[in-house]
Amino acid sequence: MNGKLGLKHIVLGLVFLAILLFPLVWRSQYVIHIVTLVLLWSFVATAWSFMARFGIVSLGHGVFLGIGAYIPILLFNFGGLSPWIGMVVAIVAAVMMSMILGYPCFRFGLVGDYFALVTLAMAEVGSLVVVAYREYTGGSLGLTLKSSNRSWIDFQFDDKRAYYYIAMIFLLLALYLWRRIGKSKIQMALTAIGESELAAASLGVNVIKYKMLITMLSAGLTAMGGVLYGQYVTYICPETVSGVSVSLSVCFKAILGGMFDMLGPFIGTAIMVTLEEYIRISLGTKFSGVSEIIFGSAILVLIIFLPRGIFGSLKDLMVKKKHIERA
Amino acid sequence: MADQIIMAFINGILLGGVLALLAFGLNLIFGVVKIIHMAYGQFVMLGFYLIYSFNAIFHIPLVPAMLLGIAAMALLGVLTQLLLINPLLNAPRLNQLLALASLIIVLENLAMIIWGADYRGIPLTLPIINIGEVFIRSSYLIAFIGAIVVLGLLYLFLHRTYLGLAIRATAQDLEMAEGMGINPRIVYYVTLAAGGALTGVVAAFFVPIYTVHPHFGSSFTIMAFVIVVFGGMGNLLGGFISAFIIGVATSVAAVLYTNELADILALILFVLVMLVRPQGLLGVRA
Amino acid sequence: MLKVDGIDIFYGEFRALEAVSLKVEAGQTVIVVGPNGAGKSTLLRGISGLQRTRKGAVYFHDERIDTLRAYRIVEKGISLVPEGGRAFPYLSVEDNLRAGAYNRNARGYAKEGFEQIYDLFPILAKRRRQMAGSLSGGERQMLAIARSLMSKPKLILLDEPSLGLAPLVVDLVFEFVQKMKKEGYSILLVEQNANRALRIADYAYLVESGKLVFEGNRQDFDKNPYIKTAYLGL
Repeated sequence: MNGKLGLKHIVLGLVFLAILLFPLVWRSQYVIHIVTLVLLWSFVATAWSFMARFGIVSLGHGVFLGIGAYIPILLFNFGGLSPWIGMVVAIVAAVMMSMILGYPCFRFGLVGDYFALVTLAMAEVGSLVVVAYREYTGGSLGLTLKSSNRSWIDFQFDDKRAYYYIAMIFLLLALYLWRRIGKSKIQMALTAIGESELAAASLGVNVIKYKMLITMLSAGLTAMGGVLYGQYVTYICPETVSGVSVSLSVCFKAILGGMFDMLGPFIGTAIMVTLEEYIRISLGTKFSGVSEIIFGSAILVLIIFLPRGIFGSLKDLMVKKKHIERA
Repeated sequence: MADQIIMAFINGILLGGVLALLAFGLNLIFGVVKIIHMAYGQFVMLGFYLIYSFNAIFHIPLVPAMLLGIAAMALLGVLTQLLLINPLLNAPRLNQLLALASLIIVLENLAMIIWGADYRGIPLTLPIINIGEVFIRSSYLIAFIGAIVVLGLLYLFLHRTYLGLAIRATAQDLEMAEGMGINPRIVYYVTLAAGGALTGVVAAFFVPIYTVHPHFGSSFTIMAFVIVVFGGMGNLLGGFISAFIIGVATSVAAVLYTNELADILALILFVLVMLVRPQGLLGVRA
Repeated sequence: MLKVDGIDIFYGEFRALEAVSLKVEAGQTVIVVGPNGAGKSTLLRGISGLQRTRKGAVYFHDERIDTLRAYRIVEKGISLVPEGGRAFPYLSVEDNLRAGAYNRNARGYAKEGFEQIYDLFPILAKRRRQMAGSLSGGERQMLAIARSLMSKPKLILLDEPSLGLAPLVVDLVFEFVQKMKKEGYSILLVEQNANRALRIADYAYLVESGKLVFEGNRQDFDKNPYIKTAYLGL
């Protein structure tokens, strides 16, 4: 990849162009809605993968998502504060939360299983807090965004395509950051830490600093995703934006596509969201839950047979092919 | 108010007995197979649904239905080992965690589809025992006594039989256990069967106390983890003691504050324990 | 009785043993010596089934055992006492011994086994209810050997039994190995301490960097000038 224009680049370029021009050309509101969701959730899945690809697995990203969804809506509904400012508040809150959680964990060497369990607990705490303060948040019944006519200022748009493009910009931002990090010291440091924390530390790598950096980044981005979700869907409840199931759902999307590759989460999300919609349509709401079962089982099978996800395994296959061709 | 606290204390102890069973199962599986059974609470939920189905739908009398439920859950444990854990024995920890976590999603949604989102239960009225100002539900008392009996039997099994010895040896040194002629696969199957059966037993004790719904498992899974981490992961005695401490603490907190705050406190306690003393009360630093 | 025929053992990509062959006849005490990291422990692990062998074969009483799982090999009559003994730390002395008698050949004889062991090792009798983890290093080693005897083995594999032990205890260990030899056990002993080991050997092999470089009886080893200086410190 020395800047030569390979097939891969052409395909990617076409896909990007398609995504860019798509809403201007396509008529169906519904399809635009689906792709918006794909872009949004890919963004969140990519944000999660920032941490996971280095071995820092969080099963509780719902807590950041929830912060992003609830804070701007609460501030707007009760205080008239523009959700753009709400977004900044939410991001700061999420980052601070990740610091409060992350620092002690990293400082005391909580890794792997135990760390995952802690994050799971935090996701549950997030849900419970929402339910406990139900006078403000509506508890398990959910919260609806008050509508306003001051479009841009209040992060509300009549033309849903605005959300589409914001989601696309968010995703591009995440991919850009992935690229930047990939070329930076952070990548090397975290890879070393992922292989052996002890070895890395003895080489002078500030383990805590790098883990904190990637965690804070992941948390902030996830919160942004939550903000966009809240503003777009306008109805949120603990089930959909915080808690264990949405946290796991995000993990699944990333793993399905392969969380070690930049476009893995996007592909995994695309597959999952479209299939979920398809199942929802064909089976109706009576069978709500079928898609979850299918995906849960698929992930199970995937983890057993294809630990690098679909995209990752395809890449491995390509690499193997190259080696065979060369040999 | 004082009465309420005393009652909460007593209820905490009574339920603590059942929670101790839950902790035992989780600790056994973790200690022997070295895997965290993320969906343990969902197993309890499933056990409950099965007992309910056997009794209310297939009209099997209650006690046989319970025994059938326990057997079914033991079988599920073995299947889990066979289909899920065996292939992942040498996989990275993350994969094991996620595979079992996906079981949470699969089981909860399966329950949703098969039994619906409504609360299901077997209506049983059991007498209430009065002692002065305080009343105790006999369902709680039966659960407590039953749990202690089962724990006693489990202790005898582990310490007085060859199979129990095999399980304890495998938990401490897998290679050396094999070096004694112990087949680890058999030990794993027995462990998962026992762990599964325990969820059936817990479900049976819960039948006169609760009604079940698809998210019933979540609160118990988290609670079970809090107890097990607090007592030291893999430490059976630690889990036992911790179950009562946590049982009483959450029970009393629920009376003093609200239910949700009690749960939040339990979870924050969990996080703190993880950070300050991850080996728990009686655990040993790995 | 035991025939190892040209085995290779790999740890991942790394070849720990290459084309190693040896024999142990019934009732013999065979020693394997060599420097640290030569692959001696790996050899014992390979024979006992804890490590897979690639290439070659291992035969016990003319039956091929290298394809068997470790717990099956125990049933055939081979017992490994690993480096450090590795007694089960949270089991009592008695439970450790009982675990030794787990396999179906030995279980019926557990009761006599206990009597014999407590006779031979009065210290273990005294500490029978104690957790193995609270015993001293030497006691744990004794426990591990005793545990191994409980399994009614025909061949005992000993991996550096004197490692980390005080000289007096080392004496006890080698004394005990002599006793076992007199009782008729076949022994394959791995040791860094070549001097001591050779004194009780019927036959010996020298392994260096995963390869067999010399074999013979005590005199052969004494006469070889390289071995004399490198291993016997003479």
